[in-house]
Amino acid sequence: MKLYDYVLSPSCYKVRLMAALTGVKLEIRAVDFHPGAEHRGPELMALNPAGSIPILEDGDLILTESAAMLTYLAAKAGPEWLGSGAPEETARLQQWLSFAHRLTASLGGARLHEMLLRPGDIGTLQAQGIAALRELEAGLVEQGLRGMRFLASDRPTVADIACFPYVALAPDGGVPLDPYPAIRLWSRAIRSLDNFIEMPGIHRLHELKREHVEPGEV
Amino acid sequence: MTHDAMIDEWYPVGLFSQLDTNARKTALMGRPIEVAVEAEGHARVTSGDGRSLPVCVRYGHVWSSLGKPQKDLFAIPEADQPGRTLVDVGVIRVRCSPLRAVENFLDIAHFPFVHTDILGAEPHTEVQDYKVEVRQDADEVWATQVKFYQPQAAKSASGGITTEYMYRVPAPTCCVLYKTCPPRPGEWDVITLFVQPLAEDLCDVWPWMALFDDATPMTDLIHFQQTIFLQDRSILENQIPRLLPLDPGMEIPTRADLTSVAYRRWLKRHNYTYGAQLVAQ
Amino acid sequence: MPARTPVGPIALWRSQSGRAAASADRCPHRGMRLSHGFVRGEALSCIYHGWSYARAGNCLRIPAHPGLAPPETIRVPTHEVEECDGVIWVAVGEATAQPPRLQGVVPLRSLTAHAAVAAIEAAAGAKAGVDGFAWQPQSKLQIRLLLVPQGAEETLIHVLLDDDSSLSQRIAASRAVETLRRTAEDLETKATAP
Repeated sequence: MKLYDYVLSPSCYKVRLMAALTGVKLEIRAVDFHPGAEHRGPELMALNPAGSIPILEDGDLILTESAAMLTYLAAKAGPEWLGSGAPEETARLQQWLSFAHRLTASLGGARLHEMLLRPGDIGTLQAQGIAALRELEAGLVEQGLRGMRFLASDRPTVADIACFPYVALAPDGGVPLDPYPAIRLWSRAIRSLDNFIEMPGIHRLHELKREHVEPGEV
Repeated sequence: MTHDAMIDEWYPVGLFSQLDTNARKTALMGRPIEVAVEAEGHARVTSGDGRSLPVCVRYGHVWSSLGKPQKDLFAIPEADQPGRTLVDVGVIRVRCSPLRAVENFLDIAHFPFVHTDILGAEPHTEVQDYKVEVRQDADEVWATQVKFYQPQAAKSASGGITTEYMYRVPAPTCCVLYKTCPPRPGEWDVITLFVQPLAEDLCDVWPWMALFDDATPMTDLIHFQQTIFLQDRSILENQIPRLLPLDPGMEIPTRADLTSVAYRRWLKRHNYTYGAQLVAQ
Repeated sequence: MPARTPVGPIALWRSQSGRAAASADRCPHRGMRLSHGFVRGEALSCIYHGWSYARAGNCLRIPAHPGLAPPETIRVPTHEVEECDGVIWVAVGEATAQPPRLQGVVPLRSLTAHAAVAAIEAAAGAKAGVDGFAWQPQSKLQIRLLLVPQGAEETLIHVLLDDDSSLSQRIAASRAVETLRRTAEDLETKATAP
């Protein structure tokens, strides 16, 4: 499987993260998104006329929507990431999988504006991002009351991976995560998963590493 | 407060390869400016009041100044050495003081915690003594014999090595790093951080590199350096105060911070204070 | 996690043994916010250079100099913390009294409103005392709200409710407070509109 990838793109990171969590080895083809705008060049446009990345290529199959990529990786290598199939859980999973687009449009837009100088109305993008974060926070509070740590069930699913990157990187776009305790706990739960990988802007959970010898100790 | 001393310095204001006749609207030290490259290939920088500003094109970037630069842009002789790959990494905006951005670049002690498993890793956290001086002839801050254990020092490195660094501050918002070059022992890779001060607490950062590396595709080199800098960005946006404190009582340096101490003293002595906080508040 | 108090931002953290602690949200080394840091054992470490601090604020370790015992002078200011009935209280300055008891209720959630305390009181039709106020948005739903001003324009709302509340009551309470926040923010916007 070949991923056309930009290291700073949260959508590309979703796919890298899902692959790491399900143990799929990806062939990475680095795309010069910034400063080169290679995703708008002829080679990439031939694969994806929409001119966006990530693009996932597996034989004849070409995927250009990250939600489909997550679903494909899960179906192939980790069906437990697609949920148990129970009606309510399936509905929640689809709900948050669709909701992730709003995070991309709002928090993702704010981040591109603040970091890579892309055009946009920053005030509106940030306000929409805050509205989306509040919905996510409320959803996680309710899941917590039901005894579940993740968006669709008590174990992580593709919906969590679809929402996590743009949320975790919200501060890059000038939207702080300080006011959202449930989101902070959820984010920590995802970062603590076995085989979790980081991306720039999401730091390693150093608390997982054991303390080394204290000064003065033998 | 006067910022005269920094007004007369050269600053990066755009990537030459990315510019055309459509002006890039940007800012320099709080003033709006426009940067364009004319059809015949000359770079042009204009201030908001229509004044033509000084221009030079060097190290992949267009440089300009609001004042009257007293000398040419600093030299990086390695930039003209045959066989090097020159890498335009592109702009990244950071909500921090331009001086904080440079100081972070001069720091190695954060590698294990911020660039984990790339430029550093616990338990290899110790910073050994190194040498710091202000070279009087060129009036530059230099740190030499800086050594640190790195799990993946460069895109071309495989496995951990003890890397040697030299740091050089030739201008208040520019820093040149010379670093052990894995494919070519005896030579130094050159990695720079050119910072465009937009305001005292806002900057556009333009990393640039001159490397000996024929093996790694250009895009991978760009992504490696963008990765490193983006790991720093969330630190830089969360330091308090946002301006760099030049009052020695404000922050606590250790032996590992000698480069930063020398840099702050040098800034203070030259009245390079755009982006600095002189008195604790 | 970060929290705001009248004497400035604090880093609120829980050690491995479960004790809550509060320090100023700034590492004295390079000014990095400590609330971005990490907890190992009984110490809070700064994410930037790994300097670690005890609950009492003294520096325990400087990783760049592993052989060095940090001098006593390197400290981060701390605040007294009390954990009582599921609520963490932080004292600004010397605490003169114990926090008020909140018996028979359990904490539900905390949320931030872009509205002053007065707007939230107006939206709820109640006036807050030191132990907040009781609010009954619908029958069979008894909610207690604690309001903490976060500067002039924002308020942190802690939501508690009867400890025998059912799951559906808890979910209803969480949704009711979302509505209260929306109402309060609308009032605030109207009040500050030119």
